[in-house]
Amino acid sequence: MDLALVQVLNALSFSALLLLTGLGLSVVLSLMNFVNLAHGSFYLLGSHVAVVWIGAGLPPWLAFPAGFVAAAAAGALLERFPFRGFYGRPHLMQVLLTYGVSLILADLMRWGFGAAIRAPGLPEALSGVVFVLDLPFPVYRLFLIAAGAVLGGGLWFVLDRTVWGALVRAAVADRGVVETLGIDTRRVLAAVLVLSAGLGGLSGALGAGMLAAYPGLDEEVLILALVTVVAGGLGTFRGTVAGALAVGFALTFSKVWFPEFANAAAFAAMAALLLLRPGGIVAPPLRQV
Amino acid sequence: MRQASGHPAPSRRRVLAGLSAGTGVALLPAPALAQGRPLRIGMITSLSGPFTALGESMRAGMNLLLDQSGRAIAGRAVEFLVEDDGARPEEGVRRARKLIGADRVDALCGVISSGVALALRDVVTEARVPTFLLGSANDLARGAASPWIVRPTKTNWMLGSTAGRWTWERVSKARVLTAGSDYAAGREYVGDFAEAYRALGGTIGRQLWTPLGTADFGPLLTAIASERPEVVYAFFAGSDAVRFLRQWKEYRLAGRIPLVGPGAFFDQEDVLPATGDAALGAVNTFNQSPTAPAAAGFVRAWRAAGRPLPGEFSTTGYVCGQVIKAALERAGGDLSDWEAARRALFDAPVETAFGRMPFDPRNGGAVLDIHVNEVRRGEGGAMVNTVVHTYEAVRDPGPAG
Amino acid sequence: MMREEGRARRFAPMLVLAAVTAGAPLLAGEFHLRFLAEILLLGTAVMSLDLLIGFGGMVSLGHAAVFGAAAYAAAVAAIASGGSLPLVLGAGIAAGTAVAAAMGAAVARTSSLYLLVLTLLLGQVVWEVVFHWRDVTGGADGLRGLPPLALGPWRLDGARALLLLAGGTAIAGLAIARSFTDAPAGRALAGMREQPLRMSALGYAIPAIRMRAMLVAGAVAGAAGSLYPFVNLYVGPGSAHWTLSAAMIVMLVIGGSGSLWGAWLGCAVYLGIQTYVSAWTDRWQLVVGAVFVLTVLLLPSGLAGGIRALLRRRA
Repeated sequence: MDLALVQVLNALSFSALLLLTGLGLSVVLSLMNFVNLAHGSFYLLGSHVAVVWIGAGLPPWLAFPAGFVAAAAAGALLERFPFRGFYGRPHLMQVLLTYGVSLILADLMRWGFGAAIRAPGLPEALSGVVFVLDLPFPVYRLFLIAAGAVLGGGLWFVLDRTVWGALVRAAVADRGVVETLGIDTRRVLAAVLVLSAGLGGLSGALGAGMLAAYPGLDEEVLILALVTVVAGGLGTFRGTVAGALAVGFALTFSKVWFPEFANAAAFAAMAALLLLRPGGIVAPPLRQV
Repeated sequence: MRQASGHPAPSRRRVLAGLSAGTGVALLPAPALAQGRPLRIGMITSLSGPFTALGESMRAGMNLLLDQSGRAIAGRAVEFLVEDDGARPEEGVRRARKLIGADRVDALCGVISSGVALALRDVVTEARVPTFLLGSANDLARGAASPWIVRPTKTNWMLGSTAGRWTWERVSKARVLTAGSDYAAGREYVGDFAEAYRALGGTIGRQLWTPLGTADFGPLLTAIASERPEVVYAFFAGSDAVRFLRQWKEYRLAGRIPLVGPGAFFDQEDVLPATGDAALGAVNTFNQSPTAPAAAGFVRAWRAAGRPLPGEFSTTGYVCGQVIKAALERAGGDLSDWEAARRALFDAPVETAFGRMPFDPRNGGAVLDIHVNEVRRGEGGAMVNTVVHTYEAVRDPGPAG
Repeated sequence: MMREEGRARRFAPMLVLAAVTAGAPLLAGEFHLRFLAEILLLGTAVMSLDLLIGFGGMVSLGHAAVFGAAAYAAAVAAIASGGSLPLVLGAGIAAGTAVAAAMGAAVARTSSLYLLVLTLLLGQVVWEVVFHWRDVTGGADGLRGLPPLALGPWRLDGARALLLLAGGTAIAGLAIARSFTDAPAGRALAGMREQPLRMSALGYAIPAIRMRAMLVAGAVAGAAGSLYPFVNLYVGPGSAHWTLSAAMIVMLVIGGSGSLWGAWLGCAVYLGIQTYVSAWTDRWQLVVGAVFVLTVLLLPSGLAGGIRALLRRRA
């Protein structure tokens, strides 16, 4: 019984990490209808920055905002060129462009940060364990669950309940009308992309303690984020949360029940999910034809 | 019909290969006068993909040996060509064919991934090119051995079986729980350990497996914690190793349960720098150790360029160079009569950074001293693989086994 | 992207392929012949992907699974019963078509991102089977020690024979693909990509047409995949991994999607950079990425589009 409970906590912490990585992708996809396959690169950049920051002896809690800022800066540069020209283009062109950019970023990061696997030392407060019915569970993972909940909730609140969020959603829905109100939608859209990139970097900094940082992680994270966001359903935050929980629990319990075939079982489960609900778990209402 | 063109821009490659050798060049003797045709050695290693760091180390190790020899062996200048296999066997085979067919190398060497090594076996045997292969899959010393391949390195069996012996003799005679990455190398290490341990009278408990490339070891560690084992024998590589060890500590298992594994799991260069003190006290069996007496000269030269303690692949690259040098010197600088050169090489052991290295003529594999390393705190608080015992002259069972 | 071309232009790519296949053995050595054979075979698989992406608008990240499954089926068949060419081709085409059919059934009604993720997941399930079924596929180590190819009494295992087979497969594949795109089914596919609503309003059954495209693509990729293990006398799980699917998409875009024959150009450029640039610099992946991004930005129709524009300006 206690074993099952701890495994549920394991699944929740992994889901939290997936939510964190998926949030950035979901923001830009759901709000701006822009597929950003360079998202994994932003994650890896944030991870590397966290490693370097903590390794240099700087205050460890500031590593997370540092990851956010670094990735947001990269996002701002890329937004200026070449992403800006591709907002209205078909998804395929966005996929191709951002994938190509991710190849370039991956090699630049390998050049700059080296190819060795690196991981940050965690701050003291996060290094302990709590005992859940006699079994140890790391404090760091509880922190991830909390971070996921706070960030997810905060983002939802800002975008759904504040004027700024309404402005963003309006700018995406009907750019022309918002322009007539005198608002520069170009800057609004740029801000969304920069926010999304920053979120990617922040989740990278938060997750570095769990996943480490090395070349190739960007591709792995991208796949996970893509499956999370798409399986959950595009267009809503609820969808991304649902997707993160689904993928997190699938991957965790497949390791518990089918250890050797864990990935195959999890992928098959997610594929079955998409077949049964082609629009994802929280599917946007589709026009019936 | 053979290609008519000569070698493609060798000077540029040589410059690049030489540049990567680093600052050591300035401290070394002037290059020996090259007599006769230059010697072309091709290395296939991973410079992209998951093993990039390991491949760069291997290249650097070989370059150090070449620099120390004044970039000449047996009186001939050396052209060192390095190709990237990206840890993909199809890629590796294509590069091998390029080195053999287009670049006309005199010898091939390298290879990290056993998949690439196995794929190359047929290519180099058919092309009749002397190859100094560094893959360590058991099959390379048995069914996939070849008269054209010399292997100056270990097999997975050597590490798994000595770990079984050590665990029984010095750690505990209790039931052992095993955990590993579910792929060829993991299966070999755990399987050979279990066989050796059982042969001595021990019992193996649960055998846990995870897919290669696992991000979250939480479920596995929770399962291990709930079993409360006396000893754990495990194998993970690369990023999996780093994540497992860090999470091993997070889940409060480090220091409470003895952990044993093969050396790659605790590689000095690849894994230990990123795991902090999570691996403190763990034991591994390995043919390489930065504290091994035979490696002292190499470790000094390696660190002189400002690098941290060497791990497996830098040492293996260096040793590969030493063996190639010995082979050429014993063959009078010419490998074209490979049968004679091979016999001369196997006639007497070679002095290398792995120790005195005799070869097994059945499969061209090395007979090695396997060290038992304990991970201890060294200078500056860094984790160091420290030799506590050595099993001497361990020989793989070979083709009959 | 698609324009009506004169009869001469239509057959030009096949003639070029034939010329390359016939002429190369006179000029190149063993390594270059095998490299060329690899480009021809992989290019054929990329060309079949063009049917899906360029013509059908279905971006699939599972095409390597189709190709890899065919390669493994051919290798296993050869190891079990000797390298007879009809057996090898048959096994590969059957396996490729079967995997493509399964994927086609799954994605018949999905589109865009959902299709991308679904094909990725299904492709990885295939990879997991290949990776874990050690007894049959050799697992992570792959299969080696393949018997030489033979057609009746003639042995086909030299580099020259391999090149001829690869060239023949490429030309046949191109012919099949062309006849599909010219046929009513192929035209409907293109229409479906541009105006799905209108096409279904006109009574076209979109899922059935997509399935047909998948089957044709699967068969062609299967033929190419069946010969692939004999280039290196080895087949490994990398042939079925999603990263190969992604590389195929890169090759297709560089070459020019929608042109069919651009596939071989893109494949040659990609493999060429990978093989030759990496000897000069460790940053070859940066070069590939840069070429790819530049192509997307400046030459959306790829090299094929660029060549076509050049020829049009000359004409």
